[in-house]
Amino acid sequence: MKILAAFEWSFIWDNRVELWEGFKNTMKVSAIGVAGAFVIGLVLGAVRAHRIPVFSQLAWVYVEAIRNTPILVQIFLFYYGLPQLGYQVEGFTVAWLAVMVWGGAFNTENFRAGFEAVPKHFREAGYALGFSPLKTFLNVTLPIGGRIALPSSINTYISVLKNTSLMLAIGYPELTTVAFNIQAITFRTFEMFAVLAVVYLVIVWTLSALIRLLEARLALPETR
Amino acid sequence: MPELPDWFRPVAEYMLREGLPETLKLAALAVTASTVIGIVLGTLLTIHFLPLQSLIRLYIEVWRGLPILVTILFIYWLPAYDVGPLHIQLNAYMSAALGLSLWGSAQVAEATRGAVQSIPKEQHEAAAALGFGWAGRHRFVIVPQALRRLLPPMVGLLVNIIQNTTIAFVIGINEFLQAGNRQFENLTTQTGNGHPFTIFGFVLVVFFIISFPLTLFARYLERRLV
Repeated sequence: MKILAAFEWSFIWDNRVELWEGFKNTMKVSAIGVAGAFVIGLVLGAVRAHRIPVFSQLAWVYVEAIRNTPILVQIFLFYYGLPQLGYQVEGFTVAWLAVMVWGGAFNTENFRAGFEAVPKHFREAGYALGFSPLKTFLNVTLPIGGRIALPSSINTYISVLKNTSLMLAIGYPELTTVAFNIQAITFRTFEMFAVLAVVYLVIVWTLSALIRLLEARLALPETR
Repeated sequence: MPELPDWFRPVAEYMLREGLPETLKLAALAVTASTVIGIVLGTLLTIHFLPLQSLIRLYIEVWRGLPILVTILFIYWLPAYDVGPLHIQLNAYMSAALGLSLWGSAQVAEATRGAVQSIPKEQHEAAAALGFGWAGRHRFVIVPQALRRLLPPMVGLLVNIIQNTTIAFVIGINEFLQAGNRQFENLTTQTGNGHPFTIFGFVLVVFFIISFPLTLFARYLERRLV
């Protein structure tokens, strides 16, 4: 019980400015990462599902390369490797770029699976109505396949958010890095962990609840 | 084919000799612990007893919800404490193994619950008719069948855990990424050029060579067994 007695709420309050800055950085990086992963997933998912020659194979290489290597190594490669190639990058750029590239690969698979789950005769019906392939995609495949892909893509966004904590390794001051630095000089382990646990779990659990809600709401009529 | 530069050979040898075994040992430990704990918790989760279910649910949602990095750091930060006569202080290696296992066991528990519940209830009834109690029914009839469906996600977990061992980097364990990073820092101080692109590229390639066949194997199992 010594632990609980020694827990000082005021310590969290005293460090609120730094923690809030860290939280904002976490949200900023996550937001850019999620937006980018959404666009990459949508475009490359469509390319994969429609087996567009050359681009589809390139997208496959990208997806397998990212999914079969640790994201932390990818972060190192961006952070130390890009300057060697002549691109000066700062922590913030590496942070959003790494989670975006990582999330995009997983999202490509989510959307590919979603688009491929759309029955072929739906698309044929689109063509029969005189829609061009692009129009058919936008009016038929995207609304139906997108709905199927939505829950698993939100799961990917949750992972993108959790992965921003890895920026500790390159010292980018997002929430985990800030909390880590504060505890390193004060040894306030429980207070700092409480902050991290509450923030991450609240966001992750809210998004998970949203997935369950969407799964019920957006289920295609015939599967209800 | 271009010749490998002179500096590369000792660097790669160090990484493969010192770093890689550490990565594989850590992964083996975490996968074993995750599997055992996860299968037990996942099976228990199928019992309709609310207090027990809520407790296991909480365990799963907490360790799955937190970034693994945060879990590992917290365990590593914990000050030493005494439980009766035991003086407990986890070193970096145990902290990383425990953190990975908490996350992994939560994943396995969830997958096991799904697999156990996917076994038709006639199997339960038939086993019960033969005189098996709950434990015997699960030990001899339900879990062996569920394990088959569990195999593809378990191989997937293995791939994930191998990749996530790199997170142990942050608490100073000399796993493969750390070994590469140390060589990168040595080269930087000695020669001024750390060759980060080549070294971390090499780390990436080795992880890919380990993970990709396992990923293909998981997909093959999924097609075969499900």
